Amino acid sequence: MKTERKLPLKDAWVIWFILGVVMINYPFLHIFNKDILVFGIPLTILYFYIGWPVSIFVIYLFSIYLVRHSPEHDAPGNDQDNNSHGGAA
Amino acid sequence: MISVTTVILTSVLYFGILFGVAYYADRQRERGHSLVDNPSVYSLSLAVYCTSWTFYGSVGRAATNGIDFLAIYLGPTLIAFSWWFLLRKMVRISKEQNITSIADFISSRYGKSPLLGAVVTVFAVIGIMPYIALQLKAVSRTFDLLVSPLATVNIRMHVLPKFDLHFDSALVVALILGIFGIIFGARHLDASERHEGLVAAIALESVVKIIAFVAAGIFVTYGLFDGFTEIFHDFLIRFPERRHLLMLGSGENTYAHWLSMTFISMMAIMFLPRQFHIMVIENCREDHIRSAMWRFPAYMVVINLFVIPIALGGLLLANGDSYNADFFVITLPLQYGQPWLALLVFLGGFSASAGMVMVSSVALSTMILNHLLIPIILKFHTGANELSGLLLNLKRLCILAVIFLGYVYYRLLGESAALVNIGLISFVAATQFAPAVIGGLYWRQATRRGATVGLVLGFFMWFYTLLIPSFVQSGWISPGIVQEGLWGLALLKPTQLFGLSGFDVWTHALFWTMFVNLGSYLAISLLTSPSKEEREQIGKFVDVFNPAPLKAERTRISKAPTIMEFVDLMAKFIGIKQAHTAISEYMGNREIDEKGGLSENDILKLKRFTELTLAGSVGAAPARIIVDKYLSARGSHMEDVFDLFGSVNISRTASREQLSVLYDAARTIASGNDLQSILDALLEVFTDQFKFDLCVIRILDEDRQTLTVRSQRGMSSEHFGESERDLTSETFIGETFLTNSVSVVNDSDVISKPTTAQIIHREKILSFAHAPISIEGQPIGVLSAFSRTAKGIFTKEFVELFTSLAGMVGVAWRNAQQTEHLIRAREQQRELAIAKDIQLSLLPTSTPEVPGVALGGICIPAQEVGGDYYDYLHHEDGRLDLVIADVSGHNVGAALLMAETRTLIRSRKGHLNNPQEIIRELNQFFYEDLTRAELFITLFYLQFCPETRQITFASAGHSPTLLWQSKLKKCIRLDPEGLIIGVKEDFPYEQESLKLVDGDVLLLYTDGVIEAENDMNELFGEDRLVLLLEEHNKLPPQDMIDHIIEQVRLFSGHRSFKDDVSLIVMQVKQP
Repeated sequence: MKTERKLPLKDAWVIWFILGVVMINYPFLHIFNKDILVFGIPLTILYFYIGWPVSIFVIYLFSIYLVRHSPEHDAPGNDQDNNSHGGAA
Repeated sequence: MISVTTVILTSVLYFGILFGVAYYADRQRERGHSLVDNPSVYSLSLAVYCTSWTFYGSVGRAATNGIDFLAIYLGPTLIAFSWWFLLRKMVRISKEQNITSIADFISSRYGKSPLLGAVVTVFAVIGIMPYIALQLKAVSRTFDLLVSPLATVNIRMHVLPKFDLHFDSALVVALILGIFGIIFGARHLDASERHEGLVAAIALESVVKIIAFVAAGIFVTYGLFDGFTEIFHDFLIRFPERRHLLMLGSGENTYAHWLSMTFISMMAIMFLPRQFHIMVIENCREDHIRSAMWRFPAYMVVINLFVIPIALGGLLLANGDSYNADFFVITLPLQYGQPWLALLVFLGGFSASAGMVMVSSVALSTMILNHLLIPIILKFHTGANELSGLLLNLKRLCILAVIFLGYVYYRLLGESAALVNIGLISFVAATQFAPAVIGGLYWRQATRRGATVGLVLGFFMWFYTLLIPSFVQSGWISPGIVQEGLWGLALLKPTQLFGLSGFDVWTHALFWTMFVNLGSYLAISLLTSPSKEEREQIGKFVDVFNPAPLKAERTRISKAPTIMEFVDLMAKFIGIKQAHTAISEYMGNREIDEKGGLSENDILKLKRFTELTLAGSVGAAPARIIVDKYLSARGSHMEDVFDLFGSVNISRTASREQLSVLYDAARTIASGNDLQSILDALLEVFTDQFKFDLCVIRILDEDRQTLTVRSQRGMSSEHFGESERDLTSETFIGETFLTNSVSVVNDSDVISKPTTAQIIHREKILSFAHAPISIEGQPIGVLSAFSRTAKGIFTKEFVELFTSLAGMVGVAWRNAQQTEHLIRAREQQRELAIAKDIQLSLLPTSTPEVPGVALGGICIPAQEVGGDYYDYLHHEDGRLDLVIADVSGHNVGAALLMAETRTLIRSRKGHLNNPQEIIRELNQFFYEDLTRAELFITLFYLQFCPETRQITFASAGHSPTLLWQSKLKKCIRLDPEGLIIGVKEDFPYEQESLKLVDGDVLLLYTDGVIEAENDMNELFGEDRLVLLLEEHNKLPPQDMIDHIIEQVRLFSGHRSFKDDVSLIVMQVKQP
C-alpha cells in the first residue's frame, strides 16, 4: 500500500519539471509575452512574478508530501532510485 | 558622498560581526551544538548563489538587456524540483565516500582517477577566475562610488586621510577576503571539509544582502516613485522605443537565448564549485534539502522583486543613460539623499561578494591541494617527517592565490565587461561538469575516458568560444580572430564556429561546448568499458540508495524502527538507566501502538531526539553518524559493531578521523575472524593511522603471572616487542597493569624508572604510552605504542582514543573467550547428541509378536540422554519379559548405567528363570559400581507366560505396576517388596504371581509420569493415572500410551518433561 502511494512521487516531479520548462519557454511563453499592461504591469512580467511563486508553492506542497509520506527518508529514495536506474541503465 | 573613513570603519565593524558569528558557530560545534544544523541556515547558505552579480548585475542587465536576467533564477527554481532525488543522491554519496569537492566527486566516480581530478581542478580554477574578478570589481566600484560618486572614471588608488595611506580598494578587499577564507576555511585540516563557522557567516550575509536590496527597492519604488505601476507607466511613456526590455523574444532576448540562460543557470546552481561545496559538502543532513527546495527559490523571488523597478527607475532618473546601470541600486540612494541606505546597500553588495569569494576560494583551494599539490608532494616526499603543517600552509596559500588570480583577471580584463557577462562565462564553465556528474550518477556505462575527453574538449570549446572573445573585447588580443577567424579561416570564427550564426554568443557557446562535451562523453563511454576500479565505484554512486550486497537485508532495513531500538542505541552510549529516563521524559503521553511502534512522523522526531541525546555525550557530528549508521545497519551483523562502539567511551570532541579509527576497529572485531587475526588487524589499523614505530598487545598469562606478547606490529626488538613483562611497578607496562591506568611518557629524556629508561634510550624511543586492556574493569593486558619520530604526540585527546582502543582489544578478547566457551559447549552438545542416538537405539524399536497380548512402550528422555530404560524380552519358549527401570540422574553416567543394565539383562536372558533371580543378580552386580558412583537404579521386572497367562514379577524399589482387572472392573497395584538396586548387597527380593484374563491391562511406568508437576506444584499422581487406565483400557496399547502422555503434558502445561518418562502397556486379549 505504502509503496503504491510513494511511487508516483518521482513521476509527479518529472511532470511538474517538464511543465515548468514548457511554461517558461517558447511557444507557451508566447501566449503571455504580449505588449500589454494588466493592472498597470506588463503582462510578461506579471506572468513571471505570479507563475514563479506558484511553482515554488508546488515545491512546498511536494516537500510537505515528503514529510507526510516518508518518515524514514531512505524508503522513498530507495523506491525512486530503483525506478530510475532501471530506466537509465 | 560618504567619507572613506566612515566606509572603512563600517566595513571593519561589519567584518568584526561576521568573524564573531563564524567564531561562535565554530565554538558551538566543538561543544556539540551545531548552529548551522537547521534547514533555514542551510537554505540561507545556498543563497551564496546570489552574488554581487545578482545584487548589482541584475539591475544592470535589466536596464540594458531586459528581463532575461530572470532566467538565471528561474532555472534554479526548476531544478530545485529535482533536489530530493538529484541533490540528495549527491549528498548521500559524498557523505559515504567522504567527498571533499566536485573534483573529488567526479574523480571518485570514475575510478578515483587522479588525472580526472586534476583536469576538473584546473578547469574549475580557470572557469571561476572571472567570477571572482567580478566580485572584486563590484566591491571596489561600489567603494569608489560611495566615496566619490561623481567620478566617472575608475579610481585605482584611495587615500585614508588620517594615515596618509594609499590603497587599492580591490586589492585590499581581496586580501581581507583571503584572510577570512583562511581563518574559517583552513584553520586546521579537516578531512570532512566542513566549516560551520564559514556557513554561519554566509547565512548571515545572505540575510544582510536581502534586507539591503529590498530596502533599496522599497526606497526607489515607493520613495522616488509611486509604486510599481507608476514606474512602468512613466517608463513606457518616456522610452517607448525601449519597451522591448519588458518582453522576451525581441532584440537580443531571443527565445533561444532565454532557453540557454535557463539551462546554464540550472547547471550552474548544481555544479559551480562553491555551490557544490555549500549544498553538498557543508550539508548537515539530507533532510534540510527538503525545505531548502522551496525556501531558496523563495529567497530568489524576494531578492529579484525590485530588480525591474530599480532598473527602470534608474533609467528614468538618469534620463535613459544606462552607462552605470550596474550600480543604480547604490547610486540612486546616494543621489537622492540617503547615504546611510547607500552604505547598507554597499554592505549588502559586499556580503554578496564576500560570501562568494570565500566559499569559492575555500572550495577551489581544497581541490588544488588535493588534486594538484598532494600528488606532487607525495611523489617527492620521503615519508619521514610530518606533513600536516606543510599541507595546511599550502592550503592557505592556495586560498590567497585563487583570490589573487581573480584580482589579476579583474585588473587585466574586468574593466571592459559588464558584471553579467563575466558571470555567465563562469556559468558556462560550470555547465561543463554536468555530463560527467549527472551521467556518473545514473549511467553505468559512463567511463573515465569518456568523462575526461568530454571535459577537456568541452573546456577547450569554452575557452575558444567564450574566453577568446572576451579577451578580444577587452583589447587584450587583436580582434582579427573574432572578425576573420583563426588563421583567417571564417569557419573558425569563435562566435560563429563552423558557420553557426544567428545565435547570441551564449547560446552559440553552450551549443558547441555541450555538443563536443556530451558527444564525446557518450561516444567514448560506449566505445570503452570501465576499468576494475571504476566498476567498484559505479555501484557506490549509481546504487547509493540500495547497495547491492545489502539487498537481502533491505526489507529489514526499511522496516520502521521501534522505540526500543532507539533506547537500545542510546543505552549503548549513555547507559540503560539514563536512556530509559530520557525516553520516558520524551515520550510523555504520546501514543504508542501495542507493538511499541510509532507513527511515521514520530519516528523522525524520535531519531532527532536520539541524535540530540547522544550529541550530549559524543558531540553532534559523531552522534549523527552513529544514528544514521545504526539505523541503516539494523538487522545486519553491523549491530555488533555498535555494541562495540558503545562499549568504549568516545570523547565528545572526537574528530571524524578518530571515530573512523574506532569504527574500523569495531568492524575488525565484529568481523568474526579468529582472535589472533583480530588483534593483528587492530594493531594494523592503529599503526597505519598514527604511524607508530611499534605497537604491542600483551596479555596476562595467569599461570606464570607475566604479561606475554600476543601481537606486535612495527619494528622488531627483543627489548620491546618480543619480551615478556613481569607484574612489577618497576616497568611502565607492569605499573599500567597493576594500577589499571594509562601511562604516558611524552619525552623519553624524562623517565622516572631506570630499568625502562635504559631500554628506551637504547632503542631511541622518543615517546610512548601504555593503556590497560580490561574486561569489566579488570585488567587483562596492556596495549603499548612507541614512537621514534616525535615527542609529545600523546595529547589528551589522543590518549582518550588510545584508551578506547585498548577497551576494544578487551572486548575482542572477551568475545574470543565467549566464543571458545560456546564452541566447547557446542562440542559437548554434539557428543550428547551422539549419546542420545546410541541410547535411543538401545530401546526396543518394535514390539514383539506374542500371541494373546498387545504391547506398547515409550521412553521420553527429559534431556539429551536419560536414565530410563524399558525392554521386552521374548524367550524362545514363548515367555515374555517386560522390564522397566530408572537410573537416578539424566546425565551420561546414568545413560551408561542404563546401557550396562540392558547388557546384563540381555546376556542373562537364557540363564536366569525368574524376575527375582534377575533382580538379585543385578543388585549384586551393580552394588559396588553404584555405591561408588552414588547412583541407584529402580527396576520392575515382569514375566508373562502366554500359555498359562500367569505373570510373575519382582520390583527393586520401582513405582508399582498398575493392573486393570477387566472382570472386577478395578485397578490394583502390583508392588512386591524390594529395595532399590545398589543399596544393600544381598537383599531377599520378593516375587509375586498372578493370573490374567482377557481384557486385563498392565501399565508399567517410571516416576517421571506421576511426578510431573504443574505450575501450582501439584503432582500428576498415581490416582490420575489409575483414572486414565480405568477410562481408556479398551484403547490399543500405543494409543493408550499416547493419550496418557498427552494428559500428562496437558497437566504440567509444558511440552517437555522435567524427568524422563517411560511407559509399557500390555493388554491381554483372545489369542
